Amino acid sequence: MKKPSLIIIVLVGLVVALSMIKAIVYNRLSTSGVYVGKIEEEIGFYKTQNAKLLEKLLAFSSLTNISAKATELGFAKNTSLMVLKTLPLAVKQ
Amino acid sequence: MKWRYPFVFITFVVLFVCVIGRLFYWQVIKAEMLSELAKFQYSGIVKILPRRGEIKTSDGFPIVANKVSYLLYINPTEVKDKSKTIHILSTLLNLSTASISSKLIPDRLWVPIKSAVDAKQKEEIERMKLSGVGFEERFSRFYPEASIAAHLVGFVGKNEAGADKGYFGLEGYYDRLLRGKEGYGVELHDALGRPILSKRNEQTKGMEGSNIVLSIDRSIQFLVENKLKNGVEKYGALGGMVGIMEPQTGNIIAMASLPSFSQINYQDYNESLYKNPFITNTYEPGSTIKPIVMASALDAGVITPQTKCTICGGPITVSDYELHTWNDKYYKDTNMIEVIQHSDNTGMVFVALQLGVDRMISYLSRFGIGSLTDIDLQGETFSSFKQRRSWYAVDLATTGFGQGISITPIELLTAFSALANEGKMLGPRVVTAFENSNGEIIKVPLKVRGSPITAKTAKVMTEILVNAVEKGEAQWTKLNGYRVAGKTGTASIPVKGHYDPSSTIASFIGFAPVEKPKFVMLVILEKPTSSIYAAETAAPLFFDIAKDLLSYYDIPPSE
Repeated sequence: MKKPSLIIIVLVGLVVALSMIKAIVYNRLSTSGVYVGKIEEEIGFYKTQNAKLLEKLLAFSSLTNISAKATELGFAKNTSLMVLKTLPLAVKQ
Repeated sequence: MKWRYPFVFITFVVLFVCVIGRLFYWQVIKAEMLSELAKFQYSGIVKILPRRGEIKTSDGFPIVANKVSYLLYINPTEVKDKSKTIHILSTLLNLSTASISSKLIPDRLWVPIKSAVDAKQKEEIERMKLSGVGFEERFSRFYPEASIAAHLVGFVGKNEAGADKGYFGLEGYYDRLLRGKEGYGVELHDALGRPILSKRNEQTKGMEGSNIVLSIDRSIQFLVENKLKNGVEKYGALGGMVGIMEPQTGNIIAMASLPSFSQINYQDYNESLYKNPFITNTYEPGSTIKPIVMASALDAGVITPQTKCTICGGPITVSDYELHTWNDKYYKDTNMIEVIQHSDNTGMVFVALQLGVDRMISYLSRFGIGSLTDIDLQGETFSSFKQRRSWYAVDLATTGFGQGISITPIELLTAFSALANEGKMLGPRVVTAFENSNGEIIKVPLKVRGSPITAKTAKVMTEILVNAVEKGEAQWTKLNGYRVAGKTGTASIPVKGHYDPSSTIASFIGFAPVEKPKFVMLVILEKPTSSIYAAETAAPLFFDIAKDLLSYYDIPPSE
């Protein structure tokens, strides 16, 4: 019976190659996790900043704030309402 | 020697079967358990909290949003100077030292001290460099317009498990929708605890809370709250309410009540203030119910506007009760237009008697009186009618002018909207749309509640109400140039079997412009002291708000 040396070499080589690939991939994945973690932290930071800025924006654009600021600046409400019972001269002409 | 070979062979076979059997046991039968144990070693379960939905006014501005806040916790095993830590935290967080020290149990690793700590407080505490003190980021409710529409919105508190829960108003009614759904994920770590590649393998997918879009107009709500506050102060009232509705859609444009509360510090207020009195308080409506009863009688064909009251020359006696007008003035042979103009109780007794008990109950029911309006707010109540057999002649007579019957303000506003909308009545609603986390918008359909009266009756009744505004007791406060339909109501307050002569509930209900009503508004002042009459309190407040609304909607004068 002929020795299947070629098959054995191929199989051993395949096992060695796959083991090395596995080790490399695992190694890369392991370090990627750190980067992914950092990126996620950064995303979280920007999300928080975004939420804080939105909070400020809403507070500034609220009618409550605008009204208070207007009062501070001396704006007063015009309480008189003009009612035109007859057509103005300009319209008549 | 022949037996040796089979013996060795069988021994090996048995051993292999044992090994395979054992492997089968661990890898197939116990596979799930081992897998779970392994997960515990290299992973941790992370709870993903959903962000609570926002509540937006009709212009898309969130009157209830979320802000970043922090949960301050302490790890007692890492605290170096316990008394210093307690002192600083109690000062900066406004907590008692006893409440903090009682939580610092030495064998605990994580003790929550205070939630909703804002960023500024967090920075101050961090500057102190206290060991064992940490923060967890989370979201809490934020109200850019302060306590605007507090009764309408409700507030977010905690449930028995310490989780956020909405109470009262919209927060209570739509709690499940706003809350969203918690998600859980598994985070994989390496031997040093660092996250490995895909951080979270979501196992149960959470869902962010949906946003709610309201029919409330922010500018009008703001205006109404300020006007109501000034009105309550000016007329020395205990409290007040204003509700504004768009009659063609049932959309509530504004709803305000005083006294109110602050949603952020809700715990500092009496619990009785949490309820929205516009939908929970029942009261005797007094004269504001007269247009509803009159419209019913007109629709039933038992009277016409020119029908003369044959019993209005003086007080009327019904079942031993003598019924008077509010000012003891009597108008013999007065017609129905003048009955509303003078807010004549005897005239309304005449109308009620013409209508009869059965038709009175039937029409009031068609107007939605005595039942829920099904407004989308938590806590609505109603007062049902008495049994038919319990109605006596005096009950029918007094119902005609709004005594002996209890309704909520929202019931009255909804019923009145039928007069402004050609006899068609729509159910009141506050929410017009939902926005889910995918950005999809789901519109809420209108709620048609039927047509209690015909369009012709509504038109006739509207003209009677315009006459009441033009010539009635509140004519001094009407708006020049605009045709407004409305009615005052000075309701007595029942106390221990009789009516309190010194205090009233003053109200005014009306709509404008009558050509194409843009709004129906109900103004109520509780126990005004400057005057007990609605014509001198609620009516001027109504017209003060109406003037600004007409201007806001760019509606020019018609006369």
